[in-house]
Amino acid sequence: MKSISLYVDRQSFLHRIDPISKIYYIVAAILVPILYPSLTVAFAVMVISLILLFLGKVIRQTLSVYGFVFLVLITVLIIQTLFYPGNETPVYRIGQVVLYREGFFYALTISFRVINIVTSFLILVFTTRSADLVESLVRKGLSPRFGYVIASVFQIVPEMMSAMGRITDAQRSRGMETEGKLSVRMKAFLPLIGPVVLSSLLNVKERALALEVRGFNAKGKKTFLNEEKNFLAPTAVQWSLLAVILIAIIWRIIQ
Amino acid sequence: MELIRVEEVSFAYLPGKLVLDRVTLRFDHRSTAIIGQNGAGKTTLVKLMKGLLKPFDGEILIGDLSVKKVTAASLAKRIGLVFQNPNDQIFKGNVLEEVMFGLLNIGVEREEARVRAIRALEMVELEGKRDMNPHDLSLSQKKLVSIAAVVAMDPEIIIFDEPTIAQDHAGKERIKEIIRYLDEKGKMVMTIIHDMDFVAECFERTVVMNRGRVLLDGPTREVFSREEVLKEAYLELPTVAQLSKRLGLSETFLTPKEFIAHLEGRIKG
Ligand SMILES: Nc1ncnc2c1ncn2[C@@H]1O[C@H](COP(=O)(O)OP(=O)(O)OP(=O)(O)O)[C@@H](O)[C@H]1O
Ligand SMILES: [Mg+2]
Repeated sequence: MKSISLYVDRQSFLHRIDPISKIYYIVAAILVPILYPSLTVAFAVMVISLILLFLGKVIRQTLSVYGFVFLVLITVLIIQTLFYPGNETPVYRIGQVVLYREGFFYALTISFRVINIVTSFLILVFTTRSADLVESLVRKGLSPRFGYVIASVFQIVPEMMSAMGRITDAQRSRGMETEGKLSVRMKAFLPLIGPVVLSSLLNVKERALALEVRGFNAKGKKTFLNEEKNFLAPTAVQWSLLAVILIAIIWRIIQ
Repeated sequence: MELIRVEEVSFAYLPGKLVLDRVTLRFDHRSTAIIGQNGAGKTTLVKLMKGLLKPFDGEILIGDLSVKKVTAASLAKRIGLVFQNPNDQIFKGNVLEEVMFGLLNIGVEREEARVRAIRALEMVELEGKRDMNPHDLSLSQKKLVSIAAVVAMDPEIIIFDEPTIAQDHAGKERIKEIIRYLDEKGKMVMTIIHDMDFVAECFERTVVMNRGRVLLDGPTREVFSREEVLKEAYLELPTVAQLSKRLGLSETFLTPKEFIAHLEGRIKG
């Protein structure tokens, strides 16, 4: 079977960091800009996330995700610059249209936060085998059933992508136009949704059956297939990230 | 007349791993078998001809159309492909709809498409299942549905990728009949297949692929007379040919019928 996952196999230090630390990093990257709602903090944390992603050598694989994110953020930027309720200071005028300073900076802060959140998740998803992530969580005491749910969620996107490729081939090989102009692609996309969802559901059913016959629901303690992996100083990294989170919270409270 | 020209075609799924290496082949109306071990590149070759994959080097012409320059969909009227795995081909929720899908796409009116689809289902003896969900059929039945869906479109070139998987004896015989029927109707039938007896019985020409290259190509009898070369590609002779070889006969026989005729001739003569 073709292995389907978003994970990109590279040699980088991020690939050697343990999954739990990456989850702590996501928490930190989301929490810090919320605790310190300033443009500078949002920007700084975003830059750190982007640098990490770059060091993980997976930037190229994530470009399509950013393409989509930018599309959304540009819309936000335009709308807020024009219509943000706190808009006071006009900076530019094009005929009837007035661009405001407050809305622009508000949108910019949102954009930095969104990019930051997306990037921190991308770091986890693109540099971690989903199996490793689930295994780490289960070792931490998560129930294997819940672990399975997480693993499935990780698989569903790439699985749908591969189902989409398969069905598109089936369609165009029997005369349905799916290539070329955007309008053609859009028209071809709608009839794709039904079959893709159906095919993914069928896969899920088969997988559930396969798990069932191998005793996934059997009572008793489960053991692990693999030896615990050697990650780069997991305890130290985890504690450092926890410390950052704690310090951020305490600092905020005593301020 | 040449229906398909494959000129110096190379292809790789992953950078640096050539799956096809400068393959050149010409196809006329003769029925053709493509054989070779797993991973030899057979499916990749036919997907390229069908326009589902684009060669990164070389050129493929279907008639006078370059596959690089047109969409796969626009080739569908001329060239049909029955996928190796029917689960990759079937996506509709109803057998009849599945078979009608291609017909509607190439501009056949709904009523006519229905008639032709039902006729195709009768050909594979699945007319009674036309209102079922194809996913509830067995693998062998799904394969037959996917054959019907392509044959119904009546393209000039029809490619089968391992049509006999999961079929019992009766199923195999039915598929043989379909191939002969299409051949007689003047269609160009190309089939990827691992069953050498089937090859010997049904195809005029045989192409042997090995590690992304064409190892042998010619009239089926000639190909099966080159046992040493076939061994290189880990291929066996058809049963009758093995038997006659063991018996020390020099000719290459392809069908039991031929072989028996020869033996009878010897006994009498
Ligand atoms: N989508 C894909 N991505 C990467 N590699 C692939 C893909 N499809 C096929 N391959 C590889 O390309 C090579 C040729 O595959 P192909 O399917 O053309 O072989 P085949 O001759 O049809 O074999 P089989 O008899 O098993 O069907 C194999 O090594 C296969 O692993
Ligand atoms: Mg194949």
